[in-house]
Amino acid sequence: MALLPENLSFSRKILPIIAVAGLLLAIVFIWNGLPDRELSEPENEPPRATGELANSARVAGAGLVEPSSEIVDIGTALSGLVSDLRVQPGDYVEKGQVLFTVDDRAVRARISETQAAIGEARAAISEAQSARATAQRQLSLYNQVEDPAAVSRAEVIRAQGDADAANSRLKVARARLSAAQAAAGSARTELGRLTVRAPMAGEILEVNIRPGEFVSTMGGSGLPFIRMGETRPLYIRVDIDESEVARMDMGASAIVSPRGAAGEQVEAKFVRAEPLVVPKRSLTNSASERVDVRVLQVLYELPETDGLFRVGQQIDAFIPAKTTNTKKAGQAKPADSEAEAQ
Amino acid sequence: MLWIAIRMLTGDKQKFYGLLFGIAFSTLLITQQLTIFVNLLERGASGTYNVSSADVWVMDPVSRTTDVAYALPSTALDQVRGVPGVDWAVPHLRANASVRTKDGDLEGVAIIGVDDATLIGLPKGMIEGSTDVLSQPDSVIIDDVGAERMFPGQSPIGERLELNDQRAVVRGIADAIPSFTSTVVLYTKYSQALRYVPGTRNRLSFVLVGAADGIDAKSLSERIEEQTGLKAQTRDEFARDGVDFIIENTGIPLNFGITVLLGFIVGVAIVGLTFSLFIRDNIKQFGALKAIGVTNGKIAQMVAVQAGMVGMIGYGLGVLGTVGFISAFSNDPTFKGFYIPWQIPLISFAAMVLIIVLTGWIALRGVMNTEPAAVFR
Repeated sequence: MALLPENLSFSRKILPIIAVAGLLLAIVFIWNGLPDRELSEPENEPPRATGELANSARVAGAGLVEPSSEIVDIGTALSGLVSDLRVQPGDYVEKGQVLFTVDDRAVRARISETQAAIGEARAAISEAQSARATAQRQLSLYNQVEDPAAVSRAEVIRAQGDADAANSRLKVARARLSAAQAAAGSARTELGRLTVRAPMAGEILEVNIRPGEFVSTMGGSGLPFIRMGETRPLYIRVDIDESEVARMDMGASAIVSPRGAAGEQVEAKFVRAEPLVVPKRSLTNSASERVDVRVLQVLYELPETDGLFRVGQQIDAFIPAKTTNTKKAGQAKPADSEAEAQ
Repeated sequence: MLWIAIRMLTGDKQKFYGLLFGIAFSTLLITQQLTIFVNLLERGASGTYNVSSADVWVMDPVSRTTDVAYALPSTALDQVRGVPGVDWAVPHLRANASVRTKDGDLEGVAIIGVDDATLIGLPKGMIEGSTDVLSQPDSVIIDDVGAERMFPGQSPIGERLELNDQRAVVRGIADAIPSFTSTVVLYTKYSQALRYVPGTRNRLSFVLVGAADGIDAKSLSERIEEQTGLKAQTRDEFARDGVDFIIENTGIPLNFGITVLLGFIVGVAIVGLTFSLFIRDNIKQFGALKAIGVTNGKIAQMVAVQAGMVGMIGYGLGVLGTVGFISAFSNDPTFKGFYIPWQIPLISFAAMVLIIVLTGWIALRGVMNTEPAAVFR
């Protein structure tokens, strides 16, 4: 029974060793081969409610950043070619500042036409005035002659008629002057209408026209010419599912983070809730889809952040839910089980 | 004396190796068949397990598995986000689509839309490229098995596909466990997936939820169900649902189950017969031993040692064979992700012990009753 090498038996010694080694190998293999089903933390920060909201009742909503004035699509009063564009996207303009001008050559030509008409009317007035003076003088001369036989009656009547006609000519000339002046005024107004000015102070968000393009009062291409809005401060418009509206604490501040930067959260002040509950406009799907979800839009004011939020950007918002006194029976329980979980 | 038993066992090499082969083969049969069976069933759960960070899956109450899901309205995401204890929630889209390859062929694919901002919903690992490629326009990530199926023998990176009249460029390969049907899977961003899948009104298939610290996934899923009226399943429950769906809806579990059972029976029969034959053949020797005064207890011990040795070696070789089989095929896409659950070798071990004990005991009864005189007959 000596375990000497020369006495080595394959079936009695080597085989068991192979079997045990094989078993150990199998254990290692099985252990290493077990699938990795560990839960892992997401690599990028997902939007989450933090602080007091983290474990309390809350309502979540997605929304868009918009200017506090909403977006104003600037139109034009008159059709024509754009001759000058004075702003570019990102500019902050004051109320009344010129945005763009429409080609004004035709109107300017009309103004000089009316100027000429005014000059003509003025000339006609002075001509009529001198004619009237002449007729007046002639008439007074006839009137001073005391001897009726010296001047014929017909001569006097003619001189009288000349004076009256000169008077009327002067009136006509004056009327023509004021008509020409009115035409000049209307041409100047038109000139003013060809200059499009900012209706309020705000930021230029989008410019869809370039000098030389035709702008039409009918809209035309469908794109607004210039879009602007008051971006100091910015508002967010959060869509709240109508079934969640009753739960939300209207008036409380919301925790807001932009898409893709969920770590950067700010607190936004409540502004107002829109009075109208509207169908949810899906931000990513086509607009033609039928929608059966309706949402209440709630506006919040964003604090001053340096470029974190931009107009039109999607955001995730968390809003506190109403506190205990209005809590529904369904929500009392989660709070309990939460207490148990902790 | 026990050494004599081992010498007795190994003395007749033919019988010894026959016995070993029988045990090793039946161990291999049972272990390997059970392994493949379990792995095949778990393919039903691969969709769930591929998403590594979600504690809870929220879906429409009628949804059953990752592939059989009814879409939710998009506000469901916000409803779920409003539930206390939800750390985060992201949208997840799963849909089938037809893809046109460069050659003009049609192929059915599964589109998985993951959250745009966080990319939660992608498999844990990438084989080629990084997950950041999804930020490029029209990018999709293909799963490795699908890449092999769709682009055999070439790299799929940079290949252009046509999905719902839209362009899609493969820019990465994900390391994912294939589904039961081994459908080609294309991962893309949620917003992109909406364009790739021809539209119905609601698109959101699932909401993936992460539980806040200290909150148990099970109680969280109950709370979500209570507050939103949607169906919420923890990851393990949902994986189980996927397996159950295959069991209920395909004949494979039954057919395969019968095969496994047959393998088991064949294994039992081989081991039992060989071992009891071996003992019966040695009745004369045992008789002789009894004749020189060896007690029944000692003989039982000898048989136990013989059984233990042959069982241990046979089992070891059988398990080694299974491991060899699985590792040899691990590079084959069909067997991708196959593993040996630790319970299966234990089951086959228990079965082996049971068979040997049973047959040994039955055969031994004959030995016990043998008169020492039997040796002279």
